Amino acid sequence: MIKNDIIFNTIDNGIIILDEKLNIVAWNHWLEIRTNIKEDEIKNKNICEQFPYVNEKKLKRKIKAVLVTKNPSYYSVDPHKFLIDIKINSITDNIFESMQQDITIVPYDVENKLVCLYIYDKTSLYKTNFKLEKLNVELRDLSNRDPMTRSFNRRYFYEESNKMLSLSLRNNQDISLVILDIDKFKNINDTYGHSIGDDVIILLARKLEEFVRNSDVVFRFGGEEFVILLNNACIDNGYNVIEKIRKKIEELEIDTKKGKLHFTISAGVSQFCELVDVSDIENTLKRADDALYIAKENGRNKVVKGE
Amino acid sequence: MKERLTLNEDERDCLQELMNISYGSATAAIADIIEKFATLSIPNIKTVSLEEFKEYIKHKLNHDKSHYVTSQSINGTISGETMFIIDENSTINLGKEFDLEEDELIQEELKDVVLEISNIITSTTLSKFAELIDASITFSPPSIKILNSSEEFNDTYVNEYSYIIIISTVMKFEDQNIKGELLILSKDNSILFIKDALNKVLEEF
Repeated sequence: MIKNDIIFNTIDNGIIILDEKLNIVAWNHWLEIRTNIKEDEIKNKNICEQFPYVNEKKLKRKIKAVLVTKNPSYYSVDPHKFLIDIKINSITDNIFESMQQDITIVPYDVENKLVCLYIYDKTSLYKTNFKLEKLNVELRDLSNRDPMTRSFNRRYFYEESNKMLSLSLRNNQDISLVILDIDKFKNINDTYGHSIGDDVIILLARKLEEFVRNSDVVFRFGGEEFVILLNNACIDNGYNVIEKIRKKIEELEIDTKKGKLHFTISAGVSQFCELVDVSDIENTLKRADDALYIAKENGRNKVVKGE
Repeated sequence: MKERLTLNEDERDCLQELMNISYGSATAAIADIIEKFATLSIPNIKTVSLEEFKEYIKHKLNHDKSHYVTSQSINGTISGETMFIIDENSTINLGKEFDLEEDELIQEELKDVVLEISNIITSTTLSKFAELIDASITFSPPSIKILNSSEEFNDTYVNEYSYIIIISTVMKFEDQNIKGELLILSKDNSILFIKDALNKVLEEF
């Protein structure tokens, strides 16, 4: 004969038997040890009164589902995190304060409306997942951002512009694009050194991100060249935005050992046109680049609209 | 082999009939659990190849709305996977039917409701279906994802099924229409088992 109570008290997961009114009928040794509550102390007590954070409405519904369907029902750690709060007293790892649990509810005695709740400790698995997700974010960041300025890079521009294009086509909105660079950047490097040159590029990146709207995205295309995607903006809106930025950049002052440094930018603006560009942002980019060339030719520190 | 994996007209009719019966038990269970009168429309059954399935999913998911997609493994005589797909509006309506308050209509709570309804429909329908064709099955816990495009679907799910049964139905709760689809993805061996089982049923009647 199999002694069920041995299994009940030696198995490596929590077991609670509940009646349909949520009274605890059995509470195994695994739970006694981890909660410091003996079965005798908790037997015949309502689980929601003992643990007020348990969602009564939800638990009752799940138990009913189990009794009606005679099939298991599941509480996943996501979104519940735990059924019974069991604190983790680890000083080396503090990702989770409480044990992360998966709960399976199965029919135990359908006639007497009893169900069995199995509590599985999934903390290690969720710690690994948590660390993996964090690494994934870092990895995405590494592949999408330029290491010096932390601005998005050229690779990410093509990903983001594709998303922005399909969204704008669906919502019937305009998209404008600005390409800009620092005027006579070589002179800055030659006069103040490459370190200051890098500082100027980083400052420009921060200022561009500060001055654009939340819906716009700034990308460093390489060297001293940046691109801005302006969401829901026609070419005139785009022009106004970058013209304001140009003026603000002109007023910036950087302290260096060789005195105060001023710099200016030139920019070309274009608007995506479905008919001409045929879903290819490269054509829009080309028109903005041609406009930038004209701005340079006409004396720099200027914004020029593309055709 | 490919021919063996497709259902002929009689087999499809028989499957439709067995699924109608199986779905009936899901309807009764839902009504009982949430104490509301719910009906499930007669399921529309399609049996498709993986390529057709991808097209079907592409058409279904490439709209403005997000979709909640659950998946659950089936093991036993019939093995494979079931999926339940429901759009965001239907999910919110479902949340209301599950008596969620306005401030509870958030993604985490809605995920739980979808997981629950999907588990009820899957377990009752397939348990009944297994009983009818004399098969034994178990289910793994379901998981859920919110998808915004069919590309995300293809990225997420493996392509190990050659033949898929799509059962679509509309759940009706008094005045609310909630459209959800149950998809059964069967491994080739299971398709052969189902096919043989359907033929046994056909011979009996």
